[in-house]
Amino acid sequence: MSKKIIFLFFLFFNLLSCNVIATEADQVNTDSEDFETTTIEDEIYDPFEPVNRAIFSFNNVADRIVLEPIAKGYKKLPSPLQSGINNFLSNLRAPLVIVNQLLQGQGENAVQSSGRFIVNSTVGVFGLFDVAEKIGLEEKEEDYGQTLATWGVGDGFYIVLPLFGPSNLRDTSGMVLTMLTDPINAYAVSEGEAWLVPMRTAVNAVDTRSQIIDEVNALRDNSVDYYAAVRSSYYQNRKAAINNVDDSELTPLPLISIEFE
Amino acid sequence: MKFKLIIIFFIIFVSKNLYSDETSEWLKREIDIILQAYKNQNLSNENRFLLVEKTINNNFAGTGIAKFVAGEAWKKSDKNNKKIYIDNFKRHLALNIASMMQGYSDQTYELTKSKYDKKNQVTLIDMEIFSDTGSVVVTWRVKESKDRFFVIDLIVADISLVVTKRSEFNSMLKKVEYDLSKFNEVLFDQNQVSYLKIIE
Repeated sequence: MSKKIIFLFFLFFNLLSCNVIATEADQVNTDSEDFETTTIEDEIYDPFEPVNRAIFSFNNVADRIVLEPIAKGYKKLPSPLQSGINNFLSNLRAPLVIVNQLLQGQGENAVQSSGRFIVNSTVGVFGLFDVAEKIGLEEKEEDYGQTLATWGVGDGFYIVLPLFGPSNLRDTSGMVLTMLTDPINAYAVSEGEAWLVPMRTAVNAVDTRSQIIDEVNALRDNSVDYYAAVRSSYYQNRKAAINNVDDSELTPLPLISIEFE
Repeated sequence: MKFKLIIIFFIIFVSKNLYSDETSEWLKREIDIILQAYKNQNLSNENRFLLVEKTINNNFAGTGIAKFVAGEAWKKSDKNNKKIYIDNFKRHLALNIASMMQGYSDQTYELTKSKYDKKNQVTLIDMEIFSDTGSVVVTWRVKESKDRFFVIDLIVADISLVVTKRSEFNSMLKKVEYDLSKFNEVLFDQNQVSYLKIIE
């Protein structure tokens, strides 16, 4: 019981601090002459930048030595096998996606995701085949970070987590909630198969990394400040996910003038 | 009166669609030039990059993007440093795109959607790239000026290349107190490293 109270207190404090700090983050000024909108932020609230940079460097080394070589090896597996693993992992995430869609009031999407989960878990052989996509049930991802953002919780400060990579205070809280409430993980632990939890996380990381090998390398090899490039990419990607941007027209437009020399 | 309005509406609708189609056709032609360079096994890595760089310089609003990305530092700088910076930036842009293309292995693509954003006078073209394990959508933002089209931004997985570069450059510019001449040295060195990786 006391553990529950401590957890609730931690969660409440976390959410509250997100809101307080988010106010500061939103005060970052942008140059109005250069922007069509002020929604593009030049600077992200990163008060622990030196620590974050150190963790980022560690993650970068870990990626080069461990994750990237494994992802490259994984990429050599037959394509149907890679698709199968990706579909299977995505199907395991579905219950929490549905919960978050409901928490965000996306009833229609929740029904669609439930349909996807049922179809793929049965006809799609435990989620190995994405049969649902073929019958028009589109995949839509939602997580606790997005839910908290929808409820008005601000980003909080930027944080780089060891091994997990870029995040912010709100999304880290979301990640903790995911770990605590995932029914598949809970089932594995209750069956005495707790090793499946880190195993699932690791396979997920390899699968995701394998899909962005060229993009990450391009960014890493050509950035004057790789840390800042990743930080910006993370925020843009999350902002689009929170706003459920399907249309690039909604992505903030930088005002670029055409100049002839 | 009603009839006239319908005719006007029809003409506007058709002309905007034709405009989008024309932009897509132009983009397809230019993308194909780059892809051909990657398919041509007789080209050395260096010549391939130089061809890609030429195509990018001809079709991207390099100077405008460079200016936008430099932000604060642009205003403070003198003409000579601006010129050096633009040259460095254009090469940097080409190196970034060429680097992203390194993994190209004959994937097919399709320009799936083209939309004219009237308010901002920008055409958005979605390009879906197919591979064995799925597909990825890249959005091109294209602007017309003096009867020519120019790419002003590239969006991959909701991440804008231009916005990312601005944030990245801003972080580095801050370290050199927004001095474009010092930043030019950093950018030049980075370009050298990237160039050697591309041609190796």
